[in-house]
Order: sequence, then C-alpha cells, then structure tokens
Amino acid sequence: MTKMRSNRLKIIFMLCLACVTTGGQHFESKVAQLLQDETEHIKCFVEGKDLTCFWEEEEERNHLHNQYTFTYSYENKNKMACAVSSLSLLASNKTIFFCKLAKTPFFTTLHVQVHRDGQKLYTRSLNAENFLFLDPPRNLTVLSSGKEGQLNVSWLPPQLKYMDDSMIYEVRYAAEGSDLGKVEVIKVSTMLVLLGLESDTRYKVWVRVKPDGVAYKGYWSAWTEPVFGVTPPSDVDPLIVLLVLSIGLILCLLSLTVILSHQKFLLKKLWPDIPTPEHKFPGLFTVYKGDFKEWMSHNNGSMWGRSVHVYTEELPSPLEVLSEVSLTSHDTSHREEVKPAEEDEEKESERSDSGLTDRWPDPPHAHWLMDQLRALQENPESHSQSSLLQSHDTYVTLNQGDIEQQADDVFEETLPLQTLFSSAGTPSLSISHSDLGSLQQSSGSGRLSSQSSLEYPNHTWPPKGPGYAYMAVADSGVSMDYSPMSSSRIAELGRHRIYTNDYKNEIFPHKWPLSGQYIKSG
Amino acid sequence: MQTFSGLVSILTVFLWLGGNLVSPLRPICDLRVLDHFVREARDSEVIMRGCRGGCGVMKSYFVPLTSVDFAVWEHMDVTGQAVEVQTGLSLLDQALSNAMKTVSNSPLTSALDNNISNIHSLGQILHSLDLQQARSTVLPDDSAPASAQTQEVSSLPELLQVQSSFLRGKVRLLLSAAPACQRQNS
Repeated sequence: MTKMRSNRLKIIFMLCLACVTTGGQHFESKVAQLLQDETEHIKCFVEGKDLTCFWEEEEERNHLHNQYTFTYSYENKNKMACAVSSLSLLASNKTIFFCKLAKTPFFTTLHVQVHRDGQKLYTRSLNAENFLFLDPPRNLTVLSSGKEGQLNVSWLPPQLKYMDDSMIYEVRYAAEGSDLGKVEVIKVSTMLVLLGLESDTRYKVWVRVKPDGVAYKGYWSAWTEPVFGVTPPSDVDPLIVLLVLSIGLILCLLSLTVILSHQKFLLKKLWPDIPTPEHKFPGLFTVYKGDFKEWMSHNNGSMWGRSVHVYTEELPSPLEVLSEVSLTSHDTSHREEVKPAEEDEEKESERSDSGLTDRWPDPPHAHWLMDQLRALQENPESHSQSSLLQSHDTYVTLNQGDIEQQADDVFEETLPLQTLFSSAGTPSLSISHSDLGSLQQSSGSGRLSSQSSLEYPNHTWPPKGPGYAYMAVADSGVSMDYSPMSSSRIAELGRHRIYTNDYKNEIFPHKWPLSGQYIKSG
Repeated sequence: MQTFSGLVSILTVFLWLGGNLVSPLRPICDLRVLDHFVREARDSEVIMRGCRGGCGVMKSYFVPLTSVDFAVWEHMDVTGQAVEVQTGLSLLDQALSNAMKTVSNSPLTSALDNNISNIHSLGQILHSLDLQQARSTVLPDDSAPASAQTQEVSSLPELLQVQSSFLRGKVRLLLSAAPACQRQNS
C-alpha cells in the first residue's frame, strides 16, 4: 500500500516535472526571443491567461531578486505588488528578473513599475490582450492526399480558451535539402492543402501561430518541429495513354496507306531511275548490242532527222552564212567570204538600216559588198545573175520562221541543212551557195563563226512561197545580209529592222531559178 | 365613453399581439460583425490621435469598466454578463453622443457617429441572442452617480480607448459564449 502510494507520487512528480520542463523550455525560449526583439526595459508577454513581465539584470551587477519590487495598477485602483523571481539563461549566460501576474486583468490599461531598493527603475503602460505569446501549434501532421503534387497539412491550435477563432497561422514548407521555402498564411482553419509541389519529393513543413490582431494581438509563436511528407509520384492517366496510343496507331495506318497508294511516285522521287537513252535509240541495245556504228549504218537515214529533231528543241534561230564571194566583176567569180570577226552584237536596234556590220570589224571586202548591195538596189534586174550567183561557193539560208508559215518553217528547219545548189558556174541557180556555217543558237551573242562544216544531204528543199531571204543572223536579232541577190526587198532591208532570218525560197522543184528572188525581211 | 373604452381595448389587444407575436430574430452569431465594429472603434482612436483642432473639450464621461478577469468571468452566469454588457453599451452610447456635441472636426464627427450606430447594432445583436433583459437597468442620464460598474474618464481619447477595450473584451466574450450560438453549433 505504501509502495503504491510512493509510486503514484513519483509518477505525478515526473509528470509535473515534465510539464514544468516543457513550460520552462517554452518560457525560456520566449524570454530569449523577447530579449532580442523587444526594446522596452520591461518586457511583457501573456502565456496562457497570465501576464509575465521581466527585465534584464544590469551588466556586472549581481543583484538579488529581493532587491526588486514589481507593482501594477489599473482602472484607478490601488497598486498591487507581484512576487519577483530570477532566472539564469544558459544559452545567453544572462540573468533576468520576472513577475507573473496571477490574475491578469485584460481589456484595460495596466500600469507596471519596477523599483530597486525603493527607487523607481522602469515603468510601462500596456494592455495585456495585446501581448499574447502563444505556444506553437500541436500535433502537426503531413499526409499525402493521393493527388499529384499535393500534401495535406493539419495541426491543433494551442490550448487557449476564447481565442480559437482569433488565430492566424503561417505554414512554411521546403523540399528536403533545399534552403528555399514558401510560406502560406491561413486564418482560423487548422488545415491546409499544399499545391504545386514536385512529385515524389520529400518536403519539410513547419507551422506557427499568432493572434489575428482584431480582439487579441501578440507575437509570432516559435516554429513547430519540422514534419516530413512525401508527395506521390507522378502517374500518367491511363485514359490519356490509351488515347495517345490510339492516335499514334491511326496516324501510322494513315501514313502507311498514303505511302502504299503513292508508292510509285514516292519511289520515283526518292530513288529516281537513272535515265537511259535507250528509247531514243531503238534497237541499239537490243538488236545491235550497243554497236553504234552498226546501228547507225542501219538507221542512218531515218534516224537522222529524228536525232536532229531531238536536239533542235527550239526554233533554230541563228544562221550563219559564210559566203565566199569574189565580186570583182560580172564575169569573174567572186568569192565572197564574209568572216565576221567574233564580235558581240548588242541589240537589234543597233542594227542599222544597212543591216551590216556597223559594229563589227569590217572585213576587207565589206565596203565592196556594200557597194554591191547598193548597186543591186538600184538595178535589181541587172544583177539578177550577179557574179555572186556565179560564185563557186554556196551559201545556205534558213528560214527563221515567218509567223504564217511557222509550222512549216519549223519543219523545214528540222530538215537537214543542204546546199541549194552545189556548183559554181551554174547561172541558172538562183540560190547562192555559201559555206554553211554552223548553226548558231546562242541567244544573245551575235557571234558568227566562220566555220564551214557543210552538210549536204540529198534532200530537196521544198519550194515555198516567192522569194527568199538569206542572211547570217544571230539570235539577238542582228542580221547580216549577205545576199548578193538584189531585189526590191533590199531596199526594204535598208529601211526595216532586220532581226530575223526569214525567207521564202523560190526554188523550183528541179532547178534553182535565179529569177524572182527577193529578200523578205521579217 | 363606451366607444372610447372599446378603442382602448382594441389598442391593448394590438399592443399585446405586437409584444408577443413578433417573430424572434434569427441569432447573429458571426463574430465578424463585432470584429468590424472593433476595427471602426480603433479607427476613431487613430483619427483622434491625428486630430488638429475642433477635437472636443476636456469633459468627464462615465464609462463602463472594461477589465476582464477570466477566472471571475467564467464563473459569472450569462445573465450577469449580459447585464454588464448592456449597461456598458448604454453608457458608451451616452458618452459618445455627449462628446460629439463638442467636436467640430468633421472626420472625427463622422467616426463618432459611426461608433454610435455600431453600438445600436450591437443592441440588436444582443436582442437576437435573447440577451436583452438588462435594458431596463440602463441609467437614463449621465448625471447619475457612478455605479460599481462604471468609471470616470476626463477626455475623449480615453473615452475612445474605453470603447475599444469594452467591445474587444466583455462584449466579445458574451457573444462568443452566447447560449443561442452554442445551441446552433451543437
């Protein structure tokens, strides 16, 4: 029986000690904090329902607590005394004297005074309800809400009557290992959901409390001990995964369908066939096994035109006429050789009425030629059978392409070039020979080379309308009139701009009549 | 004569009906209303501190005691608390009205007028909480001798400070512990 009583007493004592220790710890921490923050000599705070006022011992003075007296008064009542106690703070190695009012009057002005050895030391007037120093919140818990990036934080308010609805809380949280933290303020409510947190992260959470300042005012309490919580890992919504997979599958099927439907086209674009000239040379590789010589010998005539046609994709515009004319007299054969130097012809407008080489370096016989042409203009008939015609040389004309007869002209020009007549000394020939110049297809440089590669396939030039014109013309439109044949059109030649190689061949089927020749300029 | 008595009886019936058949007010238990009044009383103190001229004269006012000893207050019954609160509100109403007569500063006049209307509203709130029984004990004028529940202040700033303390203390404690509100919460 005695043992049981002693055991009970021990337990009660231990509990009381624990309570005092806890309270003492809170008390000391509050005192320590106010020692730093409060500037008044008498520092007061309300803990629970009691007001505690304390002051610091002066440096290097060892006063005893009984040397001090603490008095207070309110509402014109008489002064009341309060018992003074001392406390040594271990952390800061300071000594304080304090007084705890047993029955603290709230909502009225208190006048407190501290005397030492009968002398007034400090005074202060304050309202007790404005100096609440609450304990930290209790039972802080941090739980995962199950949702991504969220944590549920809850706590209990400090045990204080009448003030539950007058408190404001501050929640501080930070990821473990991080110094940066965020703060959330919440009124009255004792739970909070933290949002916007990182997934699968450990967080530390603290909470503190203070009166809201309407009915009661006070200091921020100390932070609670940190409590840890882990946010759930990010989970992908299965519906979203399913949708993404479905869309991906549909896209794949669509692209596959497109690829298959345009297989050939795509293959052609991505892996183009190396072009072969087989189709242009029928039978070359199949029959003749690539023997071109043999193929040529078998397909010479028929293929030639085609090949020419292949290469002449556009209207052959230039004509180079090289004529060698010796124009000394009517009887003598002239060899007119016009070998224009290689010059650039600029514009067709620069071709003057003469249509001659104004810009070209005059060949030696150019002036003579000019004279001849003028003579022809004056007397076209007398020069109908000029010595030019009688020249041994031949020159060839090409139809540049009259608009009316463009189709025919094209066809005509696809025909191989051939001399209109071959031998000199045939006066009946109406067409003068000339050295056939190479086809000039340069489009802009009026170069006329004096090559004389002649091609004289045996091909009758189909007769066309009356007259012909022959000249060496470059694509630029410069025309060089070499015609020894005079006609009334020569006069026109001098007047009009000559930029085309247009002619009308007057060749009769069998012979090459000399008469009726004129130059038709386009 | 008979007509007159008939009219009187009819009027009595109406008065009785008016007295008893009035539907009870819905209890106003939200303390945010009182907090609003407390803030406006504090605003008057701020305006008073900044007042320069026309801020009233030195005059004695009888005001209620505002100190609250929680231990004592908890042991007091609700009726006693209600009486204290009602009496105090009446004293404040009179004191503020008298003070306003001496004030010419318009912001201060406006603030005092606001405080007076807030006190009237508090009376309605107490009525809604069935705590209006003590109205009959209100002292009619300020010339009456100070009771144990009153004190004397000699300036308007002190009067305003008493008002703030009274609203924050006794009035709030009474409203927060009103039985009508306790029944509502439970």
